[in-house]
Amino acid sequence: MNILKLFYRNLTQGPSTVAFPFGPAWTPPKLRGRIRFDLPACTGCRACEQVCAPGAIRFDKTPEGLRFMMWHNSCVFCGLCNFYCPTDAIVQSDDWHLAHPTARMYEMAIRELIPYTACSACGTKTLASAPNPVGVEPPFSAEEIEQFRHLCPGCRKKALEERTPNHAPTE
Amino acid sequence: MTRFIQTLTDQAKRLATRSPWIYRINAGSCNGCDVECATTACIPRYDVERLGCQYCGSPRHADIVLITGPLTARIKDDVLRVFAEIPEPKVTVAVGVCPISGGIFRESYAVHAPMNQFIPIDVNVPGCPPRPQAIIEGVAEAIAIWRARL
Ligand code: SF4
Ligand code: SF4
Ligand code: SF4
Repeated sequence: MNILKLFYRNLTQGPSTVAFPFGPAWTPPKLRGRIRFDLPACTGCRACEQVCAPGAIRFDKTPEGLRFMMWHNSCVFCGLCNFYCPTDAIVQSDDWHLAHPTARMYEMAIRELIPYTACSACGTKTLASAPNPVGVEPPFSAEEIEQFRHLCPGCRKKALEERTPNHAPTE
Repeated sequence: MTRFIQTLTDQAKRLATRSPWIYRINAGSCNGCDVECATTACIPRYDVERLGCQYCGSPRHADIVLITGPLTARIKDDVLRVFAEIPEPKVTVAVGVCPISGGIFRESYAVHAPMNQFIPIDVNVPGCPPRPQAIIEGVAEAIAIWRARL
């Protein structure tokens, strides 16, 4: 009986082979694929570098600023960087079209730079990174993020205390 | 006569590129990528044989080589010996991040990563493991390279 049912199903539904590469392939919505990095949202906390087991993410101090590098040919697509990033500056997309000729292997990288800037309050040299939003109530607005970006860590702390006197984050 | 041989060779090349034989080398992989390679070939849902390729059991018959694993110190000599037995022209596909950079085993004392210091690799398919469709994409790219090389 079962085989008849199977026979009928195969007759009515056609082959179960997916058409790819001659047609589009279905992608599960939560597939962990190519990494996307959003530089303006990055706080430079380096949590992603800490949790990346194969060392696919690297931060280097350069004279111009903090350089971010990520290489897909070392990444194991575990999703930890996405999970631990406080601002979703690093996320995993569902793009799995990563096959490439070896000549292009070093193009499979993301290279960005968080530049140095002068603190707008005291003039110290500081990184123009986004402020860390963890535990900040009410959440930062877009203008505030831009304003905090140009403050050094000390001045950020002062500005945060002035902003929410009762909710000053504890050390 | 020479023209006849030329036509014959051209015809043989045209037919050959439609049916490459695939050989798989496990260079110390965790088996994740091997399972995906087997899935790509054996499960009707993916069916890499639609591209005209077939897995073969002997390195001497192979045209396209799929390599998985980070090239562990213990397996290195055997892999190099088997790889040398594969006739030219061959196209090498690195399946998974292990053969490309060493992946998760990158810093280990027990692996000789990256593999391309010993074996010329033509196509990379990153993933840990890559999904079957990504492997098919890599094989399609390898067939194109093989066609040009033949
Ligand atoms: S997904 Fe995992 S391996 Fe890839 S960059 Fe993020 S933490 Fe590293
Ligand atoms: S903000 Fe996100 S992307 Fe930037 S260093 Fe921290 S974890 Fe990494
Ligand atoms: S790439 Fe990942 S799944 Fe493939 S062999 Fe290496 S560790 Fe295993």
